[in-house]
Amino acid sequence: MKVTVKAWHAIAEWRWDTGQQSTPDTDDGEDDVCGICRLPFEACCPACKVPGDDCPLIWGECTHVFHMHCLLKWISTPASKAQCPMDRRPWVNAERKVNLN
Amino acid sequence: MDVDASSPRRPTAPRGLGFAEVHTLVDDDSTREPARTPVGFTVTSERFTHCPPAFKHAVQESWRDAVQQLNGGRQPVTILNAFGKAWEIATAYLTPKDIALPQQDIAVVKAAVDYVAAAQMGPALLKFYDESLSRQIPFLEREIDAYMAAWESSRDVATVRKLVARLFEWGRAWAPAVELGGAFDGIFYTTFKSNLHIALPPSFPEAFVYLVQSTIGDLSDTDLFKELHMLGMLDRYEALVASVVCEQIERQIETLCPGKWDEPRLPELRHWLGDKVVAWLMEQYSRAGTSASNSIPGHNVIVQEAADRFDFHICKTMCDLRTSEIFDMIVDYPDSMPALLDLKECMQRVDQRAHLVTTLRRLNKRRLLHPGADTKDILSQYVSTIKCLRVIDPPGVLLFKVADPIRRYLRERPDTIRTIVAGLVGEGSDLIDETEANAPMQTAVEDYSDPNWEPEPIDAGPDFRTNKPSDVISTLVSIYDSKDLFVKELQVLLAERLLAITDGNYERELRNIEILKLRFGESALQVCEIMLKDMTDSKRLDQRIHSTNPSVLHSTVISKHFWPALNARGIKMPGQLQEILKAYERSYILQRPDKRLHWIPHLGTVKLEIQLKDRRHEVDAAPMEAAIIELFSQKETWTLDELATSLGSEAAVVRKALSKWLDMRVVREDSPHAYRLLEEAEEDDGQTGLREATPIAEDERPAVISLQQQQAEQMRVFWRFIQGMLTNVGPMSTERIQGMLKLAPGYDRTVEQLAIFLDSARREGLVDAKDGVWKIVK
Repeated sequence: MKVTVKAWHAIAEWRWDTGQQSTPDTDDGEDDVCGICRLPFEACCPACKVPGDDCPLIWGECTHVFHMHCLLKWISTPASKAQCPMDRRPWVNAERKVNLN
Repeated sequence: MDVDASSPRRPTAPRGLGFAEVHTLVDDDSTREPARTPVGFTVTSERFTHCPPAFKHAVQESWRDAVQQLNGGRQPVTILNAFGKAWEIATAYLTPKDIALPQQDIAVVKAAVDYVAAAQMGPALLKFYDESLSRQIPFLEREIDAYMAAWESSRDVATVRKLVARLFEWGRAWAPAVELGGAFDGIFYTTFKSNLHIALPPSFPEAFVYLVQSTIGDLSDTDLFKELHMLGMLDRYEALVASVVCEQIERQIETLCPGKWDEPRLPELRHWLGDKVVAWLMEQYSRAGTSASNSIPGHNVIVQEAADRFDFHICKTMCDLRTSEIFDMIVDYPDSMPALLDLKECMQRVDQRAHLVTTLRRLNKRRLLHPGADTKDILSQYVSTIKCLRVIDPPGVLLFKVADPIRRYLRERPDTIRTIVAGLVGEGSDLIDETEANAPMQTAVEDYSDPNWEPEPIDAGPDFRTNKPSDVISTLVSIYDSKDLFVKELQVLLAERLLAITDGNYERELRNIEILKLRFGESALQVCEIMLKDMTDSKRLDQRIHSTNPSVLHSTVISKHFWPALNARGIKMPGQLQEILKAYERSYILQRPDKRLHWIPHLGTVKLEIQLKDRRHEVDAAPMEAAIIELFSQKETWTLDELATSLGSEAAVVRKALSKWLDMRVVREDSPHAYRLLEEAEEDDGQTGLREATPIAEDERPAVISLQQQQAEQMRVFWRFIQGMLTNVGPMSTERIQGMLKLAPGYDRTVEQLAIFLDSARREGLVDAKDGVWKIVK
């Protein structure tokens, strides 16, 4: 028997590639959340309405990830002293390497 | 004293004495034809002769004076003679006779009557006439008895008609000639009519009703009107005539109207009333108006009043009929529009609003608001009710009163929201009416400075608000206090619909959401907005991916947090299917380097071509089904457990997906739970029997988790809290638990919901209720 796929309409959901490899097996349905607003990365920050490219993430060299809007808001406050809110190291944007496996 | 007894008689009964005087005191033979001696004559004269002379003289004196007065100063003898003759002629004429006898010459009679009248004896003559009329009534009675007997036996209306004609003949024969003047006419009409009516047997009114019934609206028999009028029957039987007319109206409505709602009936009925009945009445009663004895100016006004009353009766009867039919009229809306307008017009004349409300409420209760009715039907009937009652009563008081039980009932149905929302977004929904003003929902405040302000209608209840949202959708949504429930349900339904769409045509959904945005507000539908955006975005992205790396796979990529929870069931895609997914994922990463795709493998459809040795199938399959057949292409025989393990899924799910291939005779169940691919078609040998023996586990879980399920899911979380509370704090009342739970994030249940939940937990034996407090069961 030969089975040929003529067409396939598939449904998928997107996730940010936060660098942590999550396979379907380890995926327990709990999402990573932004350390500032406590909302999932895939949802948008409290100031936004549309998720995804309109409300992107920002990666720090300290490997911490936040909603970009959340972090920028934090950095803009004097109290932040431009530090990462998680580990108080100076915030430096990390260059994203595209992982093309 | 005899004379004392006779003298007061003089003024009251002068005719007896008058004739006595002519013969005893005056010796004159000019009386050619001696009149028949009146009865009192002999008695009086005898008594007179035996009186003493002096007294006799005195009486003679006074008598002469009286005669003098009577004769008016003229020659007494001739006058008395002539008077006697005139009296005779007049009385002879005025005594009713059998109509078979010949009539007298009216001119002579006229002269005689005039003469009597000139002698101031007119009143006496009238009295005589009156009495003799009464005496002759047996003539009539004979006739009436004969005809009524005929009527009783034959029940033929023609007999009644003949009786009327016959009575008329009698009446005409007995009636004094017009020349005699109005006084005789008056006596005749009063006496004749009253005597006639006494003579008529009790069965006559019934016969008369039949007669009127048979002639009403028929203007050809003009004699009848004349006759009835003369006999005074119309006046006497006015109520009967009116009841016959009303009966006719009812019959007319009964034949013309029931069940016929597609055209207005009221104008037709009014036309009928005007053309037939009122014309007939006009003919009858206008005759009364023109007659000399009963001349009332403006008789048309009277008939007009009667016509108004009959018009009212039409409206009333129509109203009753349509009220009893209102439920079916609403079912038939909008075909029943003309009938509704009729009803509206009738209601303006007849105040039957309360009746309509009670009837409709009763009908709704009996025919609509019971477990046998589909929620969809109840809703559509409710929508029609809204539309219909808005036609009848624009301010909406009736609607408010009728709708209340429906709304209360709908609130109790579990699937109401879902049905409403399905109506909002579903195919062929008539809820979204574009012609309606798409005003956003808002709570209008009464404008006290409005110069056109009008008070609420008189029968509006205290709860009634004129400014209620009046369009259909708002009314439906307002069944519930909050619109959040609708938005959530809408999200679920929209998800189901969007995921089922494969041709990328979201026009309809887009349009619906746009309309609904106006109702629910932009922010409430934000989530739906994103769902639609996901659809368009993924379509665009998919096109871009296909332009560089063509694939058989087209994807829809969704933003998980903005879609309702999807039933995630992992499937490990085998063989080439996995290849296709991986290839697509790689192309996706090229386009969106910062994102990853997570497939939801049980959603979507796969179009497959299956080439077997002797046949070829082209099928649309669910991904699970495709995965199974892909496994069979690797190996021809599988057991159920093997399949489930390879796919990483539950056996029941696999079994259900397998049934597709079993039905298509691509796979065969050789022994229970062992399957074999049929490269060559095999005859069906009791296969179905085997499969029926092991029924497939029902697993009809929808792709998208319904709102109810989601709530149950949430409640499970709160159950942990409750458990903790009851364990640590001890027994607690429902209110106390509610108070504690309010502190928990995302808890939005009411006390009632909590009570229901706790009760179901009690049924499962998890908690126990005692003295109003809940206790955990150890």
